[in-house]
Amino acid sequence: MSTDTETRGTLGRLRASPFLADLLTNRLAVVGLTIILGMAAVAIYARVTYDLGALAGSQLGTEIADRAPPGWLGPAPANQQLFGTDAAARDIYKRSLYGAWLALKFGTITVGTSTTVGVGLGIIAAYYGDVTDNVIMRTMDVLLAFPPLLLALALVAIFPRDLGLWRAVVALVLVYTPRFARVVRGAALKVLEDEYVDATVALGATDPRVLVRHILPNTLAPITVQSTLNFGLAIIDLAALSFLGFGAQAGTPSWGLMLSRGVENGLLTGEWWLSFFPGLFLAITVLGFNLLGDGMRDALDPRMRDAID
Amino acid sequence: MNWTQFLFRLAEPVVPPRFVIKRLLLLIPVLFGVASVVFAILHLAPGDPAVIIAGQRASAEQLEQIRVELGLRRPLWEQYLTFLWDAARFDFGQSYSISRGNSVRSVISDRLPITLELAIYGQAAGILLGLPLGIISAVKQDSLTDHVTRIGALTGISVPIFWSGPLLILLFSTYLDVFPTSGRIASTLFLPDTWTLFGRELPLTGMITVDTILLGNTEAFLSAAHHLFLPAVVIGVYSTALISRMMRSSMLEVIRQDYIRTARAKGQGAKITLMKHGFRNALIPVVTVIGIQFGTLLGGAVLTETVFGINGMGLTIVTAIGVSDYPVVQGTVLTFALLFTLVNLFVDVTYSYLDPRIQQ
Repeated sequence: MSTDTETRGTLGRLRASPFLADLLTNRLAVVGLTIILGMAAVAIYARVTYDLGALAGSQLGTEIADRAPPGWLGPAPANQQLFGTDAAARDIYKRSLYGAWLALKFGTITVGTSTTVGVGLGIIAAYYGDVTDNVIMRTMDVLLAFPPLLLALALVAIFPRDLGLWRAVVALVLVYTPRFARVVRGAALKVLEDEYVDATVALGATDPRVLVRHILPNTLAPITVQSTLNFGLAIIDLAALSFLGFGAQAGTPSWGLMLSRGVENGLLTGEWWLSFFPGLFLAITVLGFNLLGDGMRDALDPRMRDAID
Repeated sequence: MNWTQFLFRLAEPVVPPRFVIKRLLLLIPVLFGVASVVFAILHLAPGDPAVIIAGQRASAEQLEQIRVELGLRRPLWEQYLTFLWDAARFDFGQSYSISRGNSVRSVISDRLPITLELAIYGQAAGILLGLPLGIISAVKQDSLTDHVTRIGALTGISVPIFWSGPLLILLFSTYLDVFPTSGRIASTLFLPDTWTLFGRELPLTGMITVDTILLGNTEAFLSAAHHLFLPAVVIGVYSTALISRMMRSSMLEVIRQDYIRTARAKGQGAKITLMKHGFRNALIPVVTVIGIQFGTLLGGAVLTETVFGINGMGLTIVTAIGVSDYPVVQGTVLTFALLFTLVNLFVDVTYSYLDPRIQQ
């Protein structure tokens, strides 16, 4: 069997995993994955090529026109930009591209941290039960009793303004962690009913060993789907906090902040490009994660769906 | 079921009162926790309330006097207990700055109806459109209709409100000039504070489309509906997308069940089976999601109000956090949490009605 897999190489190994095979035959999931990889390439390109200081600073007084429409509209002077420029004469094309780096970087940190903490709390609650379970899960219940964005808004108020997007990250981690804890606890409780866990304990396995070697791997599937779907949400919420003025600091090329400037400066004057391009990047990225998440859910055992929604 | 049977059915309690009471009691520790979190958050928040109230130029004595008046010189546990007691009576004191001198309670009672109105229209649109779309999509699985609905719904949940809102304003207000950009009613129209029913003066609800109907003012109603249309569409699209997705996947699971096949095998028509056996069972998980997503909807209302310049609870909380008006932040956040919790309680009760097994 193992030699067989080796001779067939990577593709063979992929086929050997029914989950991956299902996922790769799901057209929408492949589109989603392509979007995410494309956006990641854009993000890295922007991070390497552009200087954040230049994107953040005002370029008033240079040749670039203030609030110029995209260059391909009408007779274009030589200095016009692909996506136009904003009220501080900054290039919206470069800023939108750099926004991908900020969204994916802070999105990854937010989702990564809340997944890790949530998984830890969920597994511990399920395994130890009793008081531990009650203390952890009742705390999670309290956090879940707030509408998500409003809890994030209230939490953001604690942190000093100069933390920028980091305060949005901390607030959102506290908002998302309970969801992961709840999903993981449910999945872990199911695993704990299996006899092999009792057998492992009877053989003398220590608590950490049972948790890490036996329970964690069996809860990975629902966690992965939840994380992927949550990634889209995290990118929207990070942008929403910036949009409302509680995320990225002034000048940062984050999509949310660019959209907020678009509403401030462009709505009444009809300068649509201030809002259109950053929002388009944001929506496409989120769509990518939602497509992939949906595909993953379909590829999983349908009975798992209850645990995820 | 004939009409008499139907009326008898209505008269008997649909859910045992004991179940409802038990759920209500379970709320107490959660709300206690929620209030504690809000207290903790705002005590950790930077900024001295005395400076926020009196301004930077106030003398040290003035600041100290305000601190004593606000109770900030008392021990922390005493402040905490006072806060819990005040919160239980829904008394959050006076606004520091955004509505200076007015009680937080009056700020909330002025602005909550505005947000509720927006949320109700959005949610109603979501339920009325989302449920049928989800059912059609599931019944015609893998048809063109299904694909269009699914992709439409996925796009609907991926497009943020603070992008779709501005784009709609740009298109319909700035360029086509068919809808107003912001506000709730034409600035030339004024509404009184009360309305009259059988010669008695009654307070208005604060929900402008309801109030204009109560006043019988058609012109004002049309203006209010005209103003509310775009914001409601923005929220409604998002809500429709969420609900249709859930309804589809839930319906798909239900129509594969044995009891559906049995009903069809004994000769029941496809449509009747679908509505009688399919819909009710498929609705169970969807009801839960509608409850949970009500929280997202409230967040959506905050963003919508910011985009459309509607002065409801959402815009209030954003402004209050910006200027550190902590009593208003406390009051509004707690109100939102309470509202969300009550909606979920209602959902739990509905759930137990749809699936009586839960009551055990």
